[in-house]
Order: sequence, then structure tokens, then C-alpha cells
Amino acid sequence: MEESLKSICYDALVIGAGIAGGEAALNLANTGYKVLLVDKELSVGGKMIMLSKVFPTLDCAACITTPKVSEISRHPNITIFTGSEVSNIRKLSDNEFAAKVTKKPRYVHVEDCTACQLCEKACPTSVRDQYQFGLIGRKAAFIPFSICSPKAAAIDIDNCTLCGACERACPTHCIDFTMETETIELHVKTIIVATGFNLFDPNNMPRYGYGKFKNVITAMQMEREIAPTRPYHTILRPGDGKVPDRIAYVLCVGSRDASVGNPICSQICCMYSIKQAQLLMGALPMADVTIYYINIRSFGKGFEEFYQQAKGMGVNFVKGKIGRISEKENGNLILRYEDINKGKLQEAEHDMVILSTGVLPNKGIDGLFENETLYLDEFSFVGQSDKLASPAKTSIGGVFVAGAATGPMDIPDSILSAGAASSEAISYIIQHA
Amino acid sequence: MKKKKIGVYICHCGGNISDYVDVEKVRQAVEGEDIVFLAKTTMFACSDANQREMVNDIEANGLTSVVVASCSPKLHLLTFRNVSQRANLNKYTYVHANIREQASWAHSDNKIGATEKAIHLVKAAIAKANYAEALESNKVKAQKSVAIIGAGVAGMKAAISLSNKDCEVILIEKEPFVGGRVAQWNSLSTTTETGKEIVKRLYDDLITRDNITICTNSEVISNKGSVGNFTLKIKTTPRYIRQSFHPEDLTRAIEVCPVSVPDEFNFRLTQRKAIYKNYPGEYPQTPVIDIKNCTRCGACEKVCPAVDFNEKEEITEITVGSVLMATGFDPYTPGYGEFGYATSENVITLPQFKRLIDEQSGTLVYKGKVIKNIAYIYCVGSRQTKGDNTYCSRNCCTSTIHAAVTAKSKFPDINNFHFNRGLRTYGKQEILYADSLRSGDIYLQSYEDGLPTVTIEGNKTIVKINDILTNGKEIEVEADLVVLVTGMVPRADNKVGTLFKLPKGRDKFYNEIHMKLRPVETVIDGVTIAGACQGPKNIAESVNSALSAATKSYSIISKGELESEPLVAIIDQDKCTWCGACEKACPFDAILKVEDKGKIVAEINNSVCKGCGMCAPVCEPDAINVTACSSTEIMSMIDTLV
Repeated sequence: MEESLKSICYDALVIGAGIAGGEAALNLANTGYKVLLVDKELSVGGKMIMLSKVFPTLDCAACITTPKVSEISRHPNITIFTGSEVSNIRKLSDNEFAAKVTKKPRYVHVEDCTACQLCEKACPTSVRDQYQFGLIGRKAAFIPFSICSPKAAAIDIDNCTLCGACERACPTHCIDFTMETETIELHVKTIIVATGFNLFDPNNMPRYGYGKFKNVITAMQMEREIAPTRPYHTILRPGDGKVPDRIAYVLCVGSRDASVGNPICSQICCMYSIKQAQLLMGALPMADVTIYYINIRSFGKGFEEFYQQAKGMGVNFVKGKIGRISEKENGNLILRYEDINKGKLQEAEHDMVILSTGVLPNKGIDGLFENETLYLDEFSFVGQSDKLASPAKTSIGGVFVAGAATGPMDIPDSILSAGAASSEAISYIIQHA
Repeated sequence: MKKKKIGVYICHCGGNISDYVDVEKVRQAVEGEDIVFLAKTTMFACSDANQREMVNDIEANGLTSVVVASCSPKLHLLTFRNVSQRANLNKYTYVHANIREQASWAHSDNKIGATEKAIHLVKAAIAKANYAEALESNKVKAQKSVAIIGAGVAGMKAAISLSNKDCEVILIEKEPFVGGRVAQWNSLSTTTETGKEIVKRLYDDLITRDNITICTNSEVISNKGSVGNFTLKIKTTPRYIRQSFHPEDLTRAIEVCPVSVPDEFNFRLTQRKAIYKNYPGEYPQTPVIDIKNCTRCGACEKVCPAVDFNEKEEITEITVGSVLMATGFDPYTPGYGEFGYATSENVITLPQFKRLIDEQSGTLVYKGKVIKNIAYIYCVGSRQTKGDNTYCSRNCCTSTIHAAVTAKSKFPDINNFHFNRGLRTYGKQEILYADSLRSGDIYLQSYEDGLPTVTIEGNKTIVKINDILTNGKEIEVEADLVVLVTGMVPRADNKVGTLFKLPKGRDKFYNEIHMKLRPVETVIDGVTIAGACQGPKNIAESVNSALSAATKSYSIISKGELESEPLVAIIDQDKCTWCGACEKACPFDAILKVEDKGKIVAEINNSVCKGCGMCAPVCEPDAINVTACSSTEIMSMIDTLV
């Protein structure tokens, strides 16, 4: 079997093509190193490319991510494998790591696909669209999202009925059901882990009714509703399609809460909620927006001013953690909370509730390594061996970490952390040449 | 002139433009123009698919120039220039029209007007494209060396990182010793290593490297040139102590010095001599004579032969490819009487408190008084509602809690009262907050419009607050010590920033190009910013930004050559009469006075000129043109617009 494996060599392997992995890859590539950038999703861009706008600049996330993504995709020193996973990493010597990359079949020849969407139209199967966080459906033959890169169709083989309609509809004959999983043996000199984070699953907090009450959604779903590539072209509550006018944000859902196993603060939720509140005030000028919080943590550059701006715009900030949410017959929601400023238990009615879910580690990264141990910290984020003086170093020499894989982080902090990881990786390659 | 064939692309920007500007109407309005060969609309002009389509269009139809009407050129000018280049067009034939910031966003209340304005802007861009010329980039040799200004932890880490990449580094520190603020701290959160140990570890590494030159007691006093070749003058103040010395002699010299001045290292809590070292393990190991405060009594000279008052100030000139600024921050100094500062003996700042607990053991004593109750007042000099510092200083909540926890473990009898405005122990720092709550610290939170007050009654200080957490009850604490949690402010002495014309933000910290995606680069090509000079940061964040800045600085110069934009001013030396007006108008010192054919005329230094055009309108004989913005191009645009 070994003979059938393709073997390839690069200077660096970057695992995860979100904004941190992308930035790290670009830094390496711009200084002349050959990089393999691997992501398990069908597009590069990670979570950032899915966002609406970014705080506190209110730049459109798509508008600032796509140039970066284009730069990454076109860079002569970067090779991208999407829909691929890395495993079995072995350190062979100080300047050589071997790894296995498994490239799952997309069933579409990307170079021939023009993203004409005729396959989408032809496909009879509908499933929930994971890239719109379940708000709408998509086909089994689909373009992941409008600004994805590579911009090409993919076949969701788990849901495909193999009816062949897409194949017949495709004008460039780029759909190919004979594609198979490819396994590639990879040799690199250094590795950057930029595997990002997961969002807390609010199903684990039944008292907020997520999954049961239709008008309780997550902040990531709201990101999609207000993004330029949004699913509805306006803001609707999912229960009945009504345009909401009394919107509530519940902060610290799955953060600062030992009862759900996550005692730490997620660092980004206050700010993204304030940003969404501002965008909602702009999109729905008549709507009331209330943010229920424990502490507002607007600590970064320009953040406090952004928070004050939201207050000035009329966003209502209430200090108090929501105890329970219940649903009325008309789909409205009753929030029960202690209003700390007033020292009273209160109830408030809203017609839509957004849960600002926290940041959790992307578990299992340590399992990628075979003959060395990648230590994780007490919260299961990738451990940092020299936290203050070399934050990008891990327990394995030559393996560095970037972005939210080490803990909650916003975009600029991820960019800085990626800069540090790439700096260490470049130094490592030069020092171990 | 060959007739132009122009391709025009009008972008929806996913609704950012098309929600207010009727992009199809814009397309129809321009497609009939004589030189427009094709006009299309697109959902995202910047998307890969559209870029591919543009390349195909250019190649298939032999277009001579492309216009994209989309967002600000700041975002995508380069993107589309590169598209042109990939299709074998000269990239400077590309013309950008901004119909998002200038039409759709600015006129979201008037869709018809926004559309009309967009049509005008696109037509003007087409007019400019008609005259756009092929230009070649200027190539400049770049020195493979970086000057790092500031040898705190950020500067030191950046130096090591660049040295690892075989890059020459000149590390310039204004103070006589390296280590910056971190050298002032002992205990740090999340590590057992002290601040001084981290500094020692970095310094021990620095001095083993041949490609790093450390200049302490040194300041950059002038800057000429630009990216690739910055020529800096460095002024080094002597230490007045020769390198080789007997440690015992120096100890005696310090003993005999009769001068006593407040010790800034200990935030003026203690006094030091005119010949001094801040702490025993400090780097460089050679002490220094503070000549401003020295009375030249000669007492030290008598006991220590290494003292040498004949050492002279030195000026060195260096040329480097890039400059990395890591000048750090100052702690905020409270105003006279601000929460009792300077009016009560019991009031100190957080940095002073941290020095105080480092220096003492057993019982905590301040000014002869045993300290039991400590009140920490948060956000002093940060999040001001009445001052200029509206920003949050990011690090002080964690730093205070860490100091309080450290104090409590060292002096178990103390009680900590935290008068805060909502704790911001973001991320994993939350655990520290939880630890402090468990150890019995008391947290009292003020309303936004009712900050705590400090009342001085004799030698007592009473801190009062209406506490949110107990339903607004007025609570008072008689504090033996009031610690003002002072935030970070930009360095008061910012001469060096001015030398490089570094822009500052509303908060007066240095401004990056883009807050989200380019946090360490500045609008001055070749100058990067690292650490707290860009905004408040903790140690790990400073190091991340230092390494990022090092990477960016390195990638600029690593190839030894760089391309600069050909967009520069051009002098018609026949017309020039050298009145000097252009020289005065130029913000980049790019205009030189030269003699040409026996006549004094102006000349442009192309590697410094940014093509900003400030010189052109002040030139009376109209001898200056700016490439790609020639009078013909601009006039044709104006004709279209009016």
C-alpha cells in the first residue's frame, strides 16, 4: 500500500486556513517559504469570512477577508488543500516532520467548475445549510457560500441520492463521482497549528430554550442575518418570519459559567454583541435592542468608545444574567433575570432572543501527533510552553500555535499571534537548516 | 494615440453598494461610451471567480485598461492592479472608482442621488483611464538591517527574532538600562518567572549574538531617507564609567555619592544616588552617572578609578532598511487631588504599590504606618467621562487583581477592597478573578455616573461608593492605603515618533494601517510598531505584536531590493524657476535644490516622493506634474464631473 501514497515536501505545514492560519501562511510565503495550508472545510477563510461586519471599525467582514483570501489563494508559494485533514504527525528530526493528509473527494473538478450553480438548481435534495448556520436550506450539490474560495461546487455525498441530475446539468462536465479519497504523505520542516475554536452549543443549556423556542437563535445565526451575503435580505425571526422589534442579547452563554464546564471569559462576545446591536439599530430603526450582561468587557483598542457609541445610539444595557427563558403562544419570549442595578427580580418580553455563545477549544488537536506530545492547557486549548516570552511556542520544538487555538481571541489578536507563530517558524527553519 | 478599449466592472458589494445604488443603471449609463468596450455588474468584484473572469475578458478582447467601481481604493486598488498585471496589462493602467464610501454609504438616504453620483464617478474614472499610461515601478536597494527603537520586552524579542533570521539589528534604548517596564516587576500572573528574570533571559540571549548592536543611553535624533534606506543619527550619552571596573570600587562610589534624587525606577517611592543602578542584576551591568543631577564633587572618582568624566557624547550614523518602533507606554499620572493623589499621604498609584510590595516583607508598612485595609480604585486615567482618555487600558484589571492576590499571600493580614467599574479579566484571566474572590477580596462596583470618592479626614482616608452589587447602598471603607489603578498612556516624550511622522489615533497611541488586519504596519512604509506604543497590551500581547512587527519588517527587506510606486512628482526643469514653494509644501522632504545647466532648479528624490501632489498646486510656473494624476487626466475627470 505504501507505494501508492503520493509524497510531497514543503517548508511549512499550516493546519487551519482561518484568518490566523491564512496570515501565518502569507507571512511565510512572503519571505520565500513554500507552505501547505490545509483546512477541513470546503473554503478557506475560517469563521471570519462568515461574519457581517467587524468591531470596532464596522468594516464589512467579507470586504476585508476576501482580498486576504485572494492573496492567499493566488500566492505562488502557497498550496491549499480544502476538505482535507492532517493526521499521524511524526517528528523525524529537528528539521523534518512527516504527516498524513487525507483529501476527501469533492466530486467536482475545481479547476473546471465555473460556479454557474446549474447543479444546485438540478439537485432534488435539500438539507440544512451549515454555512448559514441552519437558517435556510441548501442542495446536496452546492456552492458552499457566495464568497467561498475556491469558488466551486461540491457534492455532499452523505446526503446525495446519486440521482445524477447534477452531472447531466453541468455544462463543463466537472462533476465526477469516481473521485476517491486521496492520502498524501507530507514532509515539512515546521508546523503551525491554527485550528481555531468551536462555539458553545446552547443545546447544553436547556433553560434558554434553544432548539425548542424558534425565536431563540445564536449570535452566529444573527451574523448571517446581517451579513451582506445574508439568507433573507432582511432581518426576520425564524419562528414566523416577523421582523423583530424587541430584540434581546443574552451574554455569557457558555462562558464564565463553571456549571457548563467553561469558567473562562470568551473575550469576543461582548464586542460582537455590541456590534450586532449597532447594526440592528441601523437596519431596524424602530427596534429596541437590549443587552443583558454580567460585565461589559470592551478592553481593546477603540472598544470602549464603540461601547459608548452603542449606548449613545440607544442600545439598552441591563446588568443581569438571564435565569430562564420561556415562550409565549405568539412566539414571544419571557426573560427572567435579576436586574442588578435595581436589585430586583424582573421579567421582560422580547420577540427575538440572541444567545451570545462562547468560545470553546477545538478538541483533539493533541491526537494528531504520534511520537511527541502536544500539551493542552487546563481548558483543552493548545498549551503554550513559554506563555509570556514566546506565546507561539508549544511543547514540541518546531510546532507553533496561532490564533484562537490557544484561547479566545479577536481578529487583531489572532493576526498578531499568527505573526508571532510565523516569525518563530521562519526562525526555526533558518536555525535548523 | 491608439484608441482605448476599456472594461468597466460595477460591483454590488453584496448589497453594500447595490442596496442604495442602482448598479444596473450605472452600467447602462456607461456602456455606450465610445471607449468602453464592455461594462458588467458583479456581486463581488474582488471574488476569485470575478477576478478570473476579468483576466479572461482582458485577454480575450484585448482590453487596454480596466475600471472597477467598488469600494475604497484602500481596500482593493492593489487587488485589481494585480488582476491587470496577471492579464499582461501594465498594472498602472488600472483605474479605481469608489462608489461605496463615496456614493452608496454617503447617500444611503437618497437612492436616486447616490446612483447619479455613482454614474459621474464611474464616468470620471473612464475619462482618466483614457489617458492612463503604462508605468514601471522604481527599484530600490534595501539594507538588510533593522533599527529597533526601545529595548523593553517587545524590542528585545523583536531583536532576537530578526537576529534569528540573519538580519542585522541595532537596538536603541533611551534609558541607560534595558528591560523597560517589565524589569520593574517581580511577580507576574500566569508564570512563576519574575519580570526581571524574563528580562535577564532575553538579555543573556541578546548579548551572545554578533548581529545585534545594543545602544543604551541612546536616542535617535534625526531621520532621513525612506523604506529600504533610513539614515538615522543616534546620540549616545556617556555612562561616565569605563567598561572594566571593580565591583567593590563601584559599590563604594555609590555609597560616597552625596546626591539624593527621587528614584523613577521605584516610581519616586525611594531615593537614589547620582551614580546608580536600578537593581543588582540589571543590564548592562555597568552603572551610570546621572550627569544632570551630578554635582561633579568628585567623591566617586576618588574611590573608583573607572569613573571617567571625560567620556564624550557620541553621534553615530546608521543606515537601515526598516525601523521597528517599540517605545512602550507611560503609566498615567493622576492629577493633583484626583482621588486624593498628592493631597493625602495614603494615596499611591498601582505601579508604586507593585514596587512597594516587592520591596517589603513581613508586615506591609507605608510611610511608617502598618497597612491593613487597602482600597483599589479602578480606571484612574482610563474610561474617563470628563478627560481625554476615553479608552480602556486593557491590562489594569488583571494587573490589580494579581497585585492584590500577591499582596494578600505575602501579607495575610491585609484586606483588599476593589472599587471597580465592571471587571475586565478577559479570557483565561477570569480564573484569577475567581481566585481573588475565593481568597476573600471584596468587590464594589460603582455606577457609571457615580464614581467612588476619597475623603481625607486628618490622616484618614475614607473611600465611599454607591455599590451596584448591593443595590446602590452607600458603602464606605476607611483605607490605610488607597491604590489608584492607573492606566497606560502614550509616552510623554514622543520626539522619536515625530521624526518618523508616525500618525497617532484619537487615544494618542501610534496608529496602525488597519486596526483589524494590519495592526503592526503604519502608513509610513518601512516603519512598523510593536508593543504598547500602539495601544495598551500585556506582556504576551506585546511579544506577539513584536514578533509580528519583526516579521513584517523582515519581509520588506529580506530580498535586499524593493519596488516602489512610480507615482511621483515630475519637475519640468525648463519651466522651474526655483522659488522654493514646492520644497516648503513637501511633507516628505523629497524635493532637492540642484543646479542644472547653470540654473538652480528643483529635483525629486524618487525613493522618498509619495506622489501626494502637495507640490503641484503651489508651483506658480506650473512646472510640476504628478504621474497618473497629470493635469490632462485631472482636467478630463473634472470635465466629466461638471
